Amino acid sequence: MQADVTDAAAVEDAVARAERDLGPVSGCLTAAGVYRRGALGSIAVEDWRSMLAVHLDGTANVCRAVYRRLLLRRNGAIVTIGSELALVGDGDAPHYAAAKGAIHAFTRSLAREAAPHGIRVNCVAPGPTDTPLLKPEYAPPDYVASLVLQRLVRPEEIAAAVRFLLREDTNMVGQVVSPNAGAVI
Amino acid sequence: MEGLAGRTALVTGAGQGIGRAIARRLAAEGALVLCNDLDPARADAAAAEVGGVSVPFDCADPDAVRRAVAEHQPIDLLVANHAFMTMAPFLEVDPGEWRRMLETNLLGTAWLVSACGPAMAERGYGRIVCIASEWGVTGWPNATAYTATKGGIISLVRSAAHALGPRGVAVNAIAPGVTDTPQLDVDALDAGVSHDEMAAIYARDIPLGRIGRPDDIAAVAVFLCSTAAAALVGQVLMPNGGYVT
Repeated sequence: MQADVTDAAAVEDAVARAERDLGPVSGCLTAAGVYRRGALGSIAVEDWRSMLAVHLDGTANVCRAVYRRLLLRRNGAIVTIGSELALVGDGDAPHYAAAKGAIHAFTRSLAREAAPHGIRVNCVAPGPTDTPLLKPEYAPPDYVASLVLQRLVRPEEIAAAVRFLLREDTNMVGQVVSPNAGAVI
Repeated sequence: MEGLAGRTALVTGAGQGIGRAIARRLAAEGALVLCNDLDPARADAAAAEVGGVSVPFDCADPDAVRRAVAEHQPIDLLVANHAFMTMAPFLEVDPGEWRRMLETNLLGTAWLVSACGPAMAERGYGRIVCIASEWGVTGWPNATAYTATKGGIISLVRSAAHALGPRGVAVNAIAPGVTDTPQLDVDALDAGVSHDEMAAIYARDIPLGRIGRPDDIAAVAVFLCSTAAAALVGQVLMPNGGYVT
């Protein structure tokens, strides 16, 4: 199901195809993201825009296409991926932290809109996670040692939080859950 | 969920409400549940229902906590859920009630974490879930003492997470929104309405359109007790239907 999340029409088409081929969608995770560093003065305008486009527009595009369908059935759940860096800021990537912060606020807002219709929307805000996005130079040994768990978050730990929020029909609504190894307490 | 077979869980205040639901869920996942309540009959009933062990004691009594925890080692999972609440306008709270809420809610939780944490750390594995309250984050009129103890629990959790996290013990809090438990009766009494009327009044302001169910909170507690939740450290999860986001 290839699609560029910044292209609303392509996302709508992909979700429509998915429903046609696989049946009604009941859960959705918006995890598409990029991480780049740069001081504010060095970030080109197009980099700034693309950072926001991938995260904020991308999350909103996917949510719009899926939420519309969940509404028809008044059931389902959406989880967005924010970031621990949106909670505390990122001195090396203001555009990334701002984009993720926008996802947090978007999630809380959509959650309030969706909850009366029986649809749960929440955000998982990972801490430093051992994925290709986290280049080794971004997590040097002294940084890892500074985490409460003294290790990076494992991708499957993010998956467990997402799975819990998608599958368990609880009253968790509009929450930002941060498995972050103690990076932000 | 990967199951909790082979784990032993101590749940305080397991006699009713949220604690009872947590004991039930943990047992369903395979854990042996030590059911604590101040009232021995309630602890017995909970233990009988979930096939666990009745462990009645007063969480406000540090010696009783230490004794019970020592007698039932190894304890892998602690859910500090017990609480005492009365309501009154701030300036009218009786000093005795202040003390009882502090000693039961905040200090009781501190005694439990202090008693269970070190043994878990020695074994290199443990999960501690402390039940705070949404009101411990937002404050609430007529519940000053209660909210202060719950705010204290949140700070205790954050600090204990630093101390125990590096040794394999994840400490987290759940701050439930208004939940349908016998404690809601305290609130209803204060407002001069029935339990159901009180629930409906709260539900009006909750995006999800209903107050919490004990099972909602139990599901969150069981998730935090799972191995896969290890990266959650010193966090406060708020199952509240979107009332506070």
